[in-house]
Amino acid sequence: MKAASGSAAEGGFDMEASIIACARGERAALHAIYQREAAQMLGVARRMLRRQALAEEAVHDTFVLVWRQAATFDQARGGGRTWIYAILRNRSLNILRGEKRTELIEDYEPLGLTSEEESPEGAMLRLSETGRLKSCLERLEPLKRTAIVLAYANGLTHGELAGRFGVPLGTMKSWIRRALLTLRECMA
Amino acid sequence: MSAQDLTPEDFDRLAAEHVLGLLDADEEVRAAALVKDDPAFRAAVEDWRARFAELDATALPLEAPDALLARISATLDATPAAAPEAEVERARLRSVETPAGTAARPATLPPLVPSPAGAFSALWRNLGFWRFASFAGAAATVLLALGVIIGPLGRGPAPAFVAVLMSPQGEPAAVVNAFADGTAELIPLRTIPVPEGRTLEVWTLWDPARGPVSIGLTGEARTIRLNLRDLPRTAPNQLFEITLEPQGGSPVGRPTGPVLMKGTTSVAL
Repeated sequence: MKAASGSAAEGGFDMEASIIACARGERAALHAIYQREAAQMLGVARRMLRRQALAEEAVHDTFVLVWRQAATFDQARGGGRTWIYAILRNRSLNILRGEKRTELIEDYEPLGLTSEEESPEGAMLRLSETGRLKSCLERLEPLKRTAIVLAYANGLTHGELAGRFGVPLGTMKSWIRRALLTLRECMA
Repeated sequence: MSAQDLTPEDFDRLAAEHVLGLLDADEEVRAAALVKDDPAFRAAVEDWRARFAELDATALPLEAPDALLARISATLDATPAAAPEAEVERARLRSVETPAGTAARPATLPPLVPSPAGAFSALWRNLGFWRFASFAGAAATVLLALGVIIGPLGRGPAPAFVAVLMSPQGEPAAVVNAFADGTAELIPLRTIPVPEGRTLEVWTLWDPARGPVSIGLTGEARTIRLNLRDLPRTAPNQLFEITLEPQGGSPVGRPTGPVLMKGTTSVAL
């Protein structure tokens, strides 16, 4: 699996150069990004949206946006992969929280596949041992750690987290705040 | 609305919760304004993105279909960047989506220009429309199933339940007839391309606690008998689906491949 921070050339593929080529109108560069990242992007979107069709919608929109906004990509601000996944997250969260709400709760669900695999425990297990995030998350109390991972990976809101853990909303907000402080210190 | 009245702690917390997607509407407006105007805030957001990025690698990758890339290309071809409509669409998308972006949130979106082409593409993208279309298709197919399939076979047993399986595109793709004696059959309504070394596997979900149960394998889209005898009697609203699996069927006893079609049973009249 590729490095998550994703700047510069990985295995001969240069994400930043590909995005810049998109800005020049080179469709082949967009295809190369698709071949390289679409499978992982679908996985990220599917984990949040829980539905293949919606995940494909999010990835579709993301590639359209990458193409159209490639000229606004600024390497000085951050890596190309981070840029693309930020667009994907925003797009997925918008679908999750807004426009597709009714479709999400409708009964057109894939057969009971909701998954150990997409659980926060699964995410923790698969976190790279060499990265800093895993060891820093492990410093958090288990419930707070799970809440942070559910928020990032599965797109849960404060309210949904509070409901899931059976704590008042204010308590959940302060759990998250304290967890973020710990993470920032640890990862600084 | 500047960063001045925020403590450093709150400033960073706002950036982190913006990245997590946890901000309420008011705070999100504030964060979006800071992203636009405050380089220090942008840097804080970028730092949090980089910190959490490792979690993106923990999602299980899914097969990226060529059809999706084709759809992306079609969207780009259909809206050349120079067209005014595309500009509006671009502005609209940018205002919501750009991560290190320039503007506010959905409430402040300019409305889409109601050009005929725009209206068509909006309709094309509208899942609600497709949902309606798929229900209309399902209804038509149920009538078809009742009229065509049951009618001529009237001498045989009539199914107690019928499920119309819909493709992800919302088109009727197969019919499952479940008979009162516990037998069932699957009748495809369209051909399904099956790659070399793969097979179609039919599943039903009778009990969510038990999970999906395999009830049939077929190498191609043709009418097959399904084995429901080991299962409790088929019930209304029972799910059936077909996934693409490795030759010989899913090795783990539950669906692993993409869902090609699915649908739930209705009582046959």
